[in-house]
Amino acid sequence: MRYKVLTVDDSKTVRIIVKKAFKGFDCEIIEAANGVEGLAAAAKENPDLILLDITMPVMDGVEMLTKLKSDPALKGIPVIMLTAEGGRDNVLKIAKIGVRDYIVKPFKEEILVEKAGRIIDLKPLSEGPQKAKSIFDPATILVVEDKPAIIQQIQEGLKHTPWKIHGVQTTGEAIDFCSKNTPDLIIISLSLPEDAAFTLFRLVRQNVKTKYTPIFALVVKTETTVQQQAQQVGFSYIVTKPIEIPELESKIAKAMNLDTSQRYFAMDGDVFVMRLPENCSQTVVGEVTNYLKPKIAGAVDSGIVKALIDLHELKGLNMAVIKLLIQAMQICKELALQYALVGNPQIVSECKGFEDTRNWQFHESIADAKASFSRSAQTAGAA
Amino acid sequence: MPTIDQISEAVFRETINRAVQDVFKTMLGKTATLADASPATNADGTPWEHPVHISGQHVVGTVGFIGDISGLIYLYLEDSFANEVASHMLGMTLEEIEEAGHEVVNDAVGELTNMTVGTFKNQLADKGFPCKLTIPSILRGSNFSIEPVSSATRRIYRFQVGDHAIVADLLMKSGD
Repeated sequence: MRYKVLTVDDSKTVRIIVKKAFKGFDCEIIEAANGVEGLAAAAKENPDLILLDITMPVMDGVEMLTKLKSDPALKGIPVIMLTAEGGRDNVLKIAKIGVRDYIVKPFKEEILVEKAGRIIDLKPLSEGPQKAKSIFDPATILVVEDKPAIIQQIQEGLKHTPWKIHGVQTTGEAIDFCSKNTPDLIIISLSLPEDAAFTLFRLVRQNVKTKYTPIFALVVKTETTVQQQAQQVGFSYIVTKPIEIPELESKIAKAMNLDTSQRYFAMDGDVFVMRLPENCSQTVVGEVTNYLKPKIAGAVDSGIVKALIDLHELKGLNMAVIKLLIQAMQICKELALQYALVGNPQIVSECKGFEDTRNWQFHESIADAKASFSRSAQTAGAA
Repeated sequence: MPTIDQISEAVFRETINRAVQDVFKTMLGKTATLADASPATNADGTPWEHPVHISGQHVVGTVGFIGDISGLIYLYLEDSFANEVASHMLGMTLEEIEEAGHEVVNDAVGELTNMTVGTFKNQLADKGFPCKLTIPSILRGSNFSIEPVSSATRRIYRFQVGDHAIVADLLMKSGD
């Protein structure tokens, strides 16, 4: 749902600053230059929040607020005063008419957004589904861990990714980092002293910019009590130490909603290629299985008739991989897609050992497999 | 009820200093330093009435306050600095500001003055002098002087913001 925020201020400068402040969030800003325009806009647009100045020509903010609160249709709209009119007595008097918050100018844009975020559920625009990023896009991951060796291990383990791993050792540094940057994912060590991890979790969740940022907890495998606690609080995922990097990488990709399909599926000229990596863990098989049907169907839809299943990097077979391959070949057959397999000697020999895979025909290289397509096309042509 | 005469020069100075510093820091991220303050009277008690000497094109914002104390503040900005201020507040480049014209700069300087006078008078309100703000207006030119009538006291505060000098000219109605 796109929220509507009505800013009522005679200063265009303030209205522009308000627009600027909310630019990164999924909300629409409606403008009015005085109380009369403000009431009309409130009735017409039914905003979710009103930011109201006091000193304005035609009708000032106090009169508009009073009229707003006496109108049954409008009185429920939350109002934040945004005005240079402060002073304790004045603020108290206006607060009594019914305002949700009171910001005295000068103000920082972040404070405005933070206070608005307590009333409406502001969503950063980059979180929207329209911006689904792929694994090849850069992202920022913040790791909060008091043991530098762990930060280093994560940085080292993920250095092949385009992700920038920023490590800090204290919650203070983490908050400072979040105020200047918007990390795409945060990993917090539960071993930080004095429950700092949980305090930090709450602070990160309260900040509108990071309200929806996935947060992972980092904890020793055997500490189940604290793991449960983290799950209850709402950590997105629990990473256990010793850290298994491939597992962590896959969970990060999933939490950030990244499209990992390009890792396994590609187009090579007019040939659709499905490639399995060296280590086909349970997670990888799961990922590929999810993409399988839509990816092959998509290729067929765009006019592709040839598919290559490339296993030359694969180190070994297991039942999950075999099941995946059978499924892939089945889908190709159903969609009348011509397919060929590429394998290494290890895979070719392992295939001989299973009943289901005994008769699979492998090509030694991608070039060979492609050549086989043209041969069969010629044969078909000759026939 | 407290009267205006009970507010010391030091309080005026500290109040305006805090207001200018707070607004420039919050809205522009800039540090303003009070360079010079001229009290309402000369050493012999006669009213101090020298005008603000300006050289070059200036943009001056004015906002008044009316209530248990009444007066107004003129905030003098050099023309080029006014453009810089608008550019910073609106998130626009200097070229865009120049293209947008005086109206945009006037509005930004008006708002900056509004915030400054607001912060100034809110502090006085908390000391027992409630008053309300007026809407801002803008004066532009290179060769003018603003002069108070005899029933007003005048205090002038000069600030340095980076390479730029700004002046806050505080005119107040004398105590009744």
